Amino acid sequence: MRNFDWPIFILLLFLLFYGVVAIYSASATKIGNDFEIENYYIKQIIWIVISLVLLYLLLKIPYTILEVMILPFYAITLILLMMVLFMPEVNGSHRWIPLAIMNIQPSELAKINLILALAKLISEKHISDWQIINRSILLSLAPVILILLEPDLGTSLSLIISLFAILAVSDLPFFYIILIISPIVSVITSFSIFSFIFFLLVLIYLLYKSRLSKVIIGFAVTINTFFFFITPVIWNSLKEYQQNRILSFINPMRDPFGAGYQIIQSKIAIGSGGLLGKGFLIGTQKNMNFLPEHHTDFIFSVIGEEFGFFGCTILLLLYFLFLLRIAKKIAGLKRKDFKYAAVGILAYITFQIFVNIGMNIGIVPTTGIPLPFISYGGSNLLINILAVGLILKFINEKSIFE
Amino acid sequence: MFKLTLTRILYIIILVIFLILFVSLFRLQIVEGAKYEQIAAKNIFRIKTIPPVRGEIFDSQFRPIARNKPSFNLYLTPGLIDDKEVVSEFVSNNFDISSKEMKEIIFNNRFRLHQEILIVQNVTFEEIVKASEKMNYYPSLSYKTEAIRQYQYNNHFTGHIGRINEDEYKKLKKDGYTINSLLGKSGLERYYESILRGKNGKKVIQVDASGQNLNLFKENLDVPPENGADLILTLNNDLQNFVSNIFPKNEKGAVVVMDADNGGILAYVSKPDFDPNIFSTNISTNEWNRILKNPDKPMMDRNIHGTYPPGSTFKPILATLGLETNTIDSKTKLIACDGGLMVGDRYFKCWWEKGHGRLNVSEALKVSCDVFFYDLSLLFTLDQINKYTKQNMLTVRTEIDIPGERKGFIPTHKWYMDNYGKYVPIIGHKVNLSIGQGEVLTTPLQICAYYAALAKNGRWTQPHFLCKSISEKGTEDFIPETKTLPVSAENMQIIKQALWNSVNQRYGTGTAATVAGVDVAGKTGSAENHMGKVTHSWFAGYASNAEFNISYVVFVENAGHGGSISAPIAGQIIDFYNRLDK
Repeated sequence: MRNFDWPIFILLLFLLFYGVVAIYSASATKIGNDFEIENYYIKQIIWIVISLVLLYLLLKIPYTILEVMILPFYAITLILLMMVLFMPEVNGSHRWIPLAIMNIQPSELAKINLILALAKLISEKHISDWQIINRSILLSLAPVILILLEPDLGTSLSLIISLFAILAVSDLPFFYIILIISPIVSVITSFSIFSFIFFLLVLIYLLYKSRLSKVIIGFAVTINTFFFFITPVIWNSLKEYQQNRILSFINPMRDPFGAGYQIIQSKIAIGSGGLLGKGFLIGTQKNMNFLPEHHTDFIFSVIGEEFGFFGCTILLLLYFLFLLRIAKKIAGLKRKDFKYAAVGILAYITFQIFVNIGMNIGIVPTTGIPLPFISYGGSNLLINILAVGLILKFINEKSIFE
Repeated sequence: MFKLTLTRILYIIILVIFLILFVSLFRLQIVEGAKYEQIAAKNIFRIKTIPPVRGEIFDSQFRPIARNKPSFNLYLTPGLIDDKEVVSEFVSNNFDISSKEMKEIIFNNRFRLHQEILIVQNVTFEEIVKASEKMNYYPSLSYKTEAIRQYQYNNHFTGHIGRINEDEYKKLKKDGYTINSLLGKSGLERYYESILRGKNGKKVIQVDASGQNLNLFKENLDVPPENGADLILTLNNDLQNFVSNIFPKNEKGAVVVMDADNGGILAYVSKPDFDPNIFSTNISTNEWNRILKNPDKPMMDRNIHGTYPPGSTFKPILATLGLETNTIDSKTKLIACDGGLMVGDRYFKCWWEKGHGRLNVSEALKVSCDVFFYDLSLLFTLDQINKYTKQNMLTVRTEIDIPGERKGFIPTHKWYMDNYGKYVPIIGHKVNLSIGQGEVLTTPLQICAYYAALAKNGRWTQPHFLCKSISEKGTEDFIPETKTLPVSAENMQIIKQALWNSVNQRYGTGTAATVAGVDVAGKTGSAENHMGKVTHSWFAGYASNAEFNISYVVFVENAGHGGSISAPIAGQIIDFYNRLDK
């Protein structure tokens, strides 16, 4: 363990500790002068201990053994993702496979799995651009669609974000990524002809700068114009409730009895925390139980209310230093597949932090993504810690090849 | 020169993301902090559920059966309790609830801090006056005016509503029920819960005490409640009350009157009865025990929860089975009745000890000769009788629109083997079954529906209370299921003639039921049973004239002969209905 990166590990421990404190408060309710405390924080501590033991084992296993297991493990995860669709519904989606001691969430496994499989297959030597694109689409398509079917939009999105992050650092020329993303932008800009024309001009400029042939540029323009025209047609063919569902996702305030209600309650809780917060355990909004699940997806509202701007800034700072340290270490990774996997992991952790806190303060739509290392929840916590373990392992293994 | 390395790109992306979060947090907590602090302190923003008004229940003439009546209820908000002990003490001293029950309520709702929990229903005016001075010291307590249910008379079909329990709440939460919801617990109230209830409305409360709108939501997105539908029953309150009043005092039993044309229930009485309002008033434990421990079981609906041997009202089943299988025809005379029949080593008596002589099927039904049916039953297997009985919808649920209906019972050959051993002389049991005694059990309602089907020449209709439901959205009619009984038109005429003779000819057993101006047909029954020495008294049949076509069953537990006890009651009911201004 000569190259074990202590700063990453210690920052991780700080984050986990912060999480346990927040969960303790989130599961406490005040009645008169008494507190009722549910035992989530104990379960969280047990999960942390289990995860850290597994992290230690992960560091001990030689990577060559792990590498052989990546593809079979990917196949198993796909089977689990199919099985989960036949499991009983919990809160409107099929996410968990109930086992005797715990419920496993295959979509969490899929995150780490897809990243490793992608990193392995597109880092091979003498691989053409088309092979990179084909392989990454082939690998991601099944898990993304299966997770969308659960439905779990948040996790699907974080898979896609990881995919793009990996492609961005791969040998694939950057204009391919522009080409892949461009239809999505076309759909978004299709509500206004001016924004679409502006986007089209930027796209042509970027592709021209990349010294692409006129045929490819023409092709890209045709495809994007097609998306621009087809979007309103598809939109109008949707039923009103389907349109409402999409609009409510983009703008939760359209649905005051569902997502909009939660976001406003969360904003009131965080906003009323002020500079220094109302104090540990005594957040009034939390105690009124306005928000369901405030030990999981809305835990940041408890932190904001009780620890205030000060406490939130400390948490942001911890995250910031943690992510910067990982980013710094990624540059030092010599093996391509390690680099790709580490970037994929970094991307999805960053994405989850941004989306969860953004949702709590009302600047991002609600997607049901937990706050990494802080929110209560077994599978998610375990996978996040193991993902950090992988990065620590990559940094550690480096020495063998130097 | 600045070079865009991978590390720097990653740094920049992370920095931008955290800057966005930091700035947004700064705006929310520091810039707008005071505003949100105020909203939190005054606790202004809330979503209020507006419960719908429950539908009411009316008879066919739009006269009320179950209505809503305003009542004062006492509520508790657990989050505002200062001291559990003091509040419990205060409430138990002033209202009808014990301090122990109060503490239980507080404990059960410890995670529903901001919800108002119903603790005492129907608070009296005296109680309010008594407690009013000190109510201000207990911010966790509040009154609300709400509707409670009021039933117009004792009955077994309306059922009652009650407070949701924890199990029901878990199941129904997704349908908009709250921990304070009332819901149908039995009878029509339960069966038609989904249409009586309506749908919750929702309102966003975002105006503070000084009237200033917080404008958290710009558009008005409130949803008004959808009130529950009113139920219009086929029942006639006048007939119902008449039947309830003429039923012999201190006797137990049941009466159903049904519209034979469409299966609609016109009167539905089970005695002894009880007042369904006891569930919405605060009655003492003593009174409760008196009702629950009463050996006469007043809460039991004898029409569908009671199963009894049908006695001779069962005989048309055997008669039609004989005719339908061509085992006998209308002229076939079976063994001569000399007051009984020796079957195996047992002697089975006819109710008429002097004997009826040799009879055909029509005569046998008219005078209710037991020996004819003993002899007839010997020509069939038990399983043939079992199957045919079920095909005629006896010992089968009628699917009437109130819950808890029982099926009744008729044994099979195998059942006797399993319960009495391999060498039991089944023949003796079969003979006993042929006159509706022994193990065969039916509900009075099944008998009534069967005779309605005879009146309609074999068209059986599902008995039901609901005529139509009326809501803001419109009117919806109840459409009953129908079936055709396995009896040919020709054979049906033979049976119907016999049932008419039974009431209208000399020596018929049901002559006490004749009514001027109405064509009455029927069959008596006097069933021996294990509940007492005296027989159950049955009379079932149908009556019609140009204006109506009804069927009826009158069942009196352990009261004597059908012809002398039940038939006269049936006669009075038909006579009353005939003269009733419908």
